[in-house]
Amino acid sequence: MTVPSVEDPPPGGADPAERDAAAAGSTASGDTADEGPASADAPAGEAAPGEAPEEAEAPDQDAADPEELFQQSEIAADYVEGLLDVLDMDGDIDELVSNGRPMVEVVGGDLQSLVGQRGATLEAIQELARLAVFRQTGYPSRLLLDVGGYRTTRRNELAAVARNAIERVKEHGQPVRLDPMSAFERKCVHDVINATEGVVSESEGEEPNRRIMVRPE
Amino acid sequence: MALKPALEHLVKGIVDHPDDVRVRLVDSRRGKRMEVRVHPDDLGTVIGRGGRTAKALRQVVTSIGGRGVRVDIIDAY
Repeated sequence: MTVPSVEDPPPGGADPAERDAAAAGSTASGDTADEGPASADAPAGEAAPGEAPEEAEAPDQDAADPEELFQQSEIAADYVEGLLDVLDMDGDIDELVSNGRPMVEVVGGDLQSLVGQRGATLEAIQELARLAVFRQTGYPSRLLLDVGGYRTTRRNELAAVARNAIERVKEHGQPVRLDPMSAFERKCVHDVINATEGVVSESEGEEPNRRIMVRPE
Repeated sequence: MALKPALEHLVKGIVDHPDDVRVRLVDSRRGKRMEVRVHPDDLGTVIGRGGRTAKALRQVVTSIGGRGVRVDIIDAY
């Protein structure tokens, strides 16, 4: 593995996750944004167009208009649906555009094998689906994939982790270092920290051991 | 086992030359492996920066029932 750092999307259609991570360090304190309402954002210009930083979320650099975004989610949905078909798995697939990002949601019975440990398989399929979109459109995609509500559930868990860290930082006035997390997970935590007065967060270290430090502001 | 068609589908969807994708399941004494062959122009895509894409493919294969099955991306068509 090469070291993920700020580099460009491979011609093949790069994947964002890592670079987010890379960008995260510099922007962590700035990004309130997320799949949520495009809000205050990361110090501009971090992400190349079409990039999909989970963490360093840049506002809206996707040049894509809503129709293009929806088309991205359709391409990705076809790709994921094809996988389910081949595997003879049941699942309902929804394609949508949510807060400026193409999304594909799969819900259904036993989808755990598409989620994997701590979402590892979900991330892998998302990455592949982004490549599938890239191949067909020529643009990198910030597509988000969720399976069985995994991301929503995980986001809530991580919000609790973040709140706990905030409490400890405020109580002791000392920085708190969290466990290594994926780009998506870190973003969930950053979002909560950024929305809280008196604490700031930043990411440290290299993938896959990149982790968040929460400090008093 | 749907591993082979699954991997085929995943690879075909990300390359420029899907018709040139070949996946072979090899069952040898040393264990199972899947050999993926693609058009030379697609090799970089399937491997990805720093092997990311190959890693993603392996992750999915492992997760859908291919634990212990190696995935080799073959460098010569």
